[in-house]
Amino acid sequence: MKKRISLVLAMMMLALCVFAAVPAMAEKTVITYWSNDRHDETYMNEVIAKFNAEHEDIEINMVIMTDDFENSILLAIDGGTAPDIVGQSVTLKNMVDYDAVVDLAPYIAADEEYQKVNDPYNHKYEGLNAIGDAIYWVPSGQRSGVRIEYNKALLEASGFEGIPSTLPEYIEMAKKITEDGKANDPVTYGIGFTSSSPFERQLEMMAQVSGVFYYDYANGKFDFTGYKPFLEAGRELVAVAYPDQQGVDNMRAQFAAGSFALWGNASQEAGVFTNQFPVEGFEWGVSPVPSLDGEIKGALQVNPNKGYLMLNACQNKDAAWEVIRYLQSEEVLVGYMEGGFDLPITSYIDERIDKSKMGRMADFSLLPYESVYPAVPTINLMGDDYRTVLWNAIMGHVEIDEAIEDLNTRYNAAYDEDVSLGFIKRLVIEDYDALHPSAGTVTWLDK
Amino acid sequence: MTTKPYVNPQLAPTNRPPRPVNKKMRLKESGGLASGFMLAPSIIFLAICSVYPFIWIFRYVTFNYDGIPAHTRFTGMRNITTMLADTKFWSSVGTTFEYALWKLIFIIPLALIMAVLLNQKLRGSSFFRGVFFMPTVISSSISGMIFTFIFATGNGILNGILQKLGFIGQPVGWLTDTSVVMAAVIIMSVWAGFGNYMLYFVTGMTSISEDVYESSRIDGANGVQTFFKITLPMLAPVLKVVLMLAITGAFKDYEAIMVLTNGGPGTRTNVMFLYIYNLIFGTGANATRQIGYGALLSLVAAVIVGAVTIVYNIVAQKLDEVV
Repeated sequence: MKKRISLVLAMMMLALCVFAAVPAMAEKTVITYWSNDRHDETYMNEVIAKFNAEHEDIEINMVIMTDDFENSILLAIDGGTAPDIVGQSVTLKNMVDYDAVVDLAPYIAADEEYQKVNDPYNHKYEGLNAIGDAIYWVPSGQRSGVRIEYNKALLEASGFEGIPSTLPEYIEMAKKITEDGKANDPVTYGIGFTSSSPFERQLEMMAQVSGVFYYDYANGKFDFTGYKPFLEAGRELVAVAYPDQQGVDNMRAQFAAGSFALWGNASQEAGVFTNQFPVEGFEWGVSPVPSLDGEIKGALQVNPNKGYLMLNACQNKDAAWEVIRYLQSEEVLVGYMEGGFDLPITSYIDERIDKSKMGRMADFSLLPYESVYPAVPTINLMGDDYRTVLWNAIMGHVEIDEAIEDLNTRYNAAYDEDVSLGFIKRLVIEDYDALHPSAGTVTWLDK
Repeated sequence: MTTKPYVNPQLAPTNRPPRPVNKKMRLKESGGLASGFMLAPSIIFLAICSVYPFIWIFRYVTFNYDGIPAHTRFTGMRNITTMLADTKFWSSVGTTFEYALWKLIFIIPLALIMAVLLNQKLRGSSFFRGVFFMPTVISSSISGMIFTFIFATGNGILNGILQKLGFIGQPVGWLTDTSVVMAAVIIMSVWAGFGNYMLYFVTGMTSISEDVYESSRIDGANGVQTFFKITLPMLAPVLKVVLMLAITGAFKDYEAIMVLTNGGPGTRTNVMFLYIYNLIFGTGANATRQIGYGALLSLVAAVIVGAVTIVYNIVAQKLDEVV
């Protein structure tokens, strides 16, 4: 009996030793990465699983946080639960002022392979991903400017072949399709708007290509006056639009179901209408947004994206850099672009991808007049932002002139105060060209 | 014969001088030390979780603060002058009163009626009690999400039913039309909250003795008379508590409204705490977090809710005296 007990005890001890030893053997440095992209989740999980399998010393733990991203990061930093790496959808100035992010310039300078693939020095945008010599993230790709995605069947049924080049014609087209749609069962509409930043998704971009932008770079001040004709046009469009303005995914689903003909959004819709809400039963087209009079007078804004910021709270910065350079390696980026998740931003990647694999993303290839805009200074604004106020004007909740005056007053007052207190400097580009917004000479003024 | 009253020798007064008692001993004898130790965790918890955040709010009332220490600046009285001129805030206060009033008008009678019905010894009353209580355990944001689908104009369930039944010809813009959106919000909040109050009433009713009802039946009272002459008066203490909870709850509601309408269309359903939440977290339409200004508005909102509660208490006390 005693022998048996001894044997059992010995086996238990052995088991304990083995279990205790296992974590020690498998101990890896875990690098937590917070992303706010859901559309590429499957692909990212695949490449991360590959990395984790190939690396004995580092493990990537990706967490997708799509709501209130910046606040969540700042709260996590305060609470001591910050991740090591975060996606680029944050206000850079706030993160830098909070001393939350690491300057990646030294890592980049020491990494020739990274420089070759990502071309970081030619994709350094003041205020967007860099401040002075410091580089906080480098874009892996870019999102196109807004396009009009349209239901070809509904357009053809109303006698249209494509999207017109002027805004008045575009409004007439929406009206005609809505009128004709009354005979359908269920009723169909000319255009649809979402409740999530609706002004940005069509009318603001039509204003951009018409040469209207909310920041007057030449004079270093905010100016919303030029939006007036677009707000009036918006009122006409809303009057014939799909009656609800629901969340963006709900409205995408409505477009995919054929409830309305015209929808505005950028290149992410390539994946959305192929995988998330596959359009079946009709063909859908992609077209540039119309301008006010058909003439292109300003650049359409593109957004460099899919960048990675390293947080100061990271305890294993070298390992975090290893993760960033993997996620921005040729191997990962080629698959990412070919998967149709984004558009390439460097010629190095552009030359290496098989564009036939990009699916509908090819329809969103950059137009000659698309460009990155210099980052507008981040101001401490009290009250509603301009997109909300302008949309409220379109919806008739506030008068158009009143809305414009309110924005001009509040934005410039906040800007003047922030400049006078030394929190920010005034951005002036005297030789600003609306068609080439990044080409001018940037000056930063103290007053 | 005179008898001397018995005096317990242990309690009888003696000529001995009283024993000196120091503070420590008195505390020990009164059990104060033990009570102090037992209360300490709660007091510490209260201080950390309630008192400190409240003081923290006061700290930022005169600051422009967006959560980033480097941006903090003292602005003196500016937050207060901004608040006085902030039409959007005062409009949200008005909206809150409107919302609370409509909610209370519907939720309390409905909860009471359902409680009376379910308190009858009917088959399946426990089941229905559970069904009606169920919305209470669903999170506010999920409620908001569910009602987004119900109230959708184009493909909404409610419009579909109303059109099928022939009550409406054209779909109603429940969430987009400023004239009806408040009704949609009230319907959702009544649905989400009445089960809870109903349960309070049912619990109150079970404590009313069956003998009282039996006596009333013998006296020939009908159902309505029984309700107004017995049930309601005897439920008065519960009713007072429920009303108090309903009033404070209605004034603090914002989560489901945030999901359902986000205060819109325009500012039609922008209730006070939703406005403050969006200010503090820099969400919704706000470009920047306004923690300092939001802190001031939080205090003002607390004062408003407190004032309403005090008014209710005074009215309830007066009613007690009258009744």
